[in-house]
Amino acid sequence: MSVPGDINFDDLKPEEFEQYLPELFATSDKLSDDPRLQKLYAAHPDCLALVRDLETIAETARSLFEPVEEPSDKVWANIQDKLREESALAFDQDGEQLREID
Amino acid sequence: MNCEGHLMTQARPPNPNPGLFKRNPPIAGEAEAIEAAKNGDAEAFSRLYSLHKRRVYTLCLRMLGNVSEAEDMTQEAFLHLFRKIGSFRGESAFSTWLHRLTVNLVLMQLRKKGLNLVSLEETINPSEEDAPKRDFGSRDPVLTGSVDRISLERAVASLPPGYRMVFVLHDVEGFEHNEIATMLDCSTGNSKSQLHKARLRLRELLRHPSESPQPDVSTEAAK
Repeated sequence: MSVPGDINFDDLKPEEFEQYLPELFATSDKLSDDPRLQKLYAAHPDCLALVRDLETIAETARSLFEPVEEPSDKVWANIQDKLREESALAFDQDGEQLREID
Repeated sequence: MNCEGHLMTQARPPNPNPGLFKRNPPIAGEAEAIEAAKNGDAEAFSRLYSLHKRRVYTLCLRMLGNVSEAEDMTQEAFLHLFRKIGSFRGESAFSTWLHRLTVNLVLMQLRKKGLNLVSLEETINPSEEDAPKRDFGSRDPVLTGSVDRISLERAVASLPPGYRMVFVLHDVEGFEHNEIATMLDCSTGNSKSQLHKARLRLRELLRHPSESPQPDVSTEAAK
């Protein structure tokens, strides 16, 4: 749900607040520090707890960007085989070899 | 959705997401390898594969949740790369370009498979009953600040495919909602909504790990 420009978050119920959360998270780096929401958080600590938990999940997710897995050696072997096949095919059709891997 | 059109095009705008460049800093020797590979240099291809195989494979594994399929898709991604590298013009980070190519291949593969396609669409547009329940008033204070990478990885692997897709693309890979919307053929609002629901589901999974459904083959299984 889009957030109206003139909305006053202070009087929102938690359920109403959550309707705006997808949009708020998309437009704020640190929603837990958003000054527009501090009175709401004071009145409804669970809203702040939820926001902080979701921020923690998003922040931890960034650490997953660095890879931990590695494909087996057969993947590269298959790639080389396929490219050799295509190279041979290109040679047959065009009269010159387009690419050679080894 | 016609994914083919997204595969090798320079779809990123001229002013790409600076955050992605920050997360994809230039790699020593990469630019030279790219230029050499464009001229068919086999050693350069090998170098590019060595530089990027782990990230491409990890991305495939997270999206597909299956080691065998992830390896097949890694193979396909690099074959596409090698065939089309001449169209890379350097308007975005090479790894960003390669990841976009990979994501579109994976999505195309999922859509070719009937069951996965249905599953994906169901979770991209889930019914209200399927959405994570609102949970105000029952917060577990232990969660904040204590999510470790392994627990999150395991929880992500057990997400429904649609949630997992949006979460991985946005929170892990760093794509913007408008890019995800284009890739998944949905609205940006839908992407934002799905991301939020994915995070809510993850919160539940992390708070109650014993209730997490076991994924068919998680990334843990690949070890």
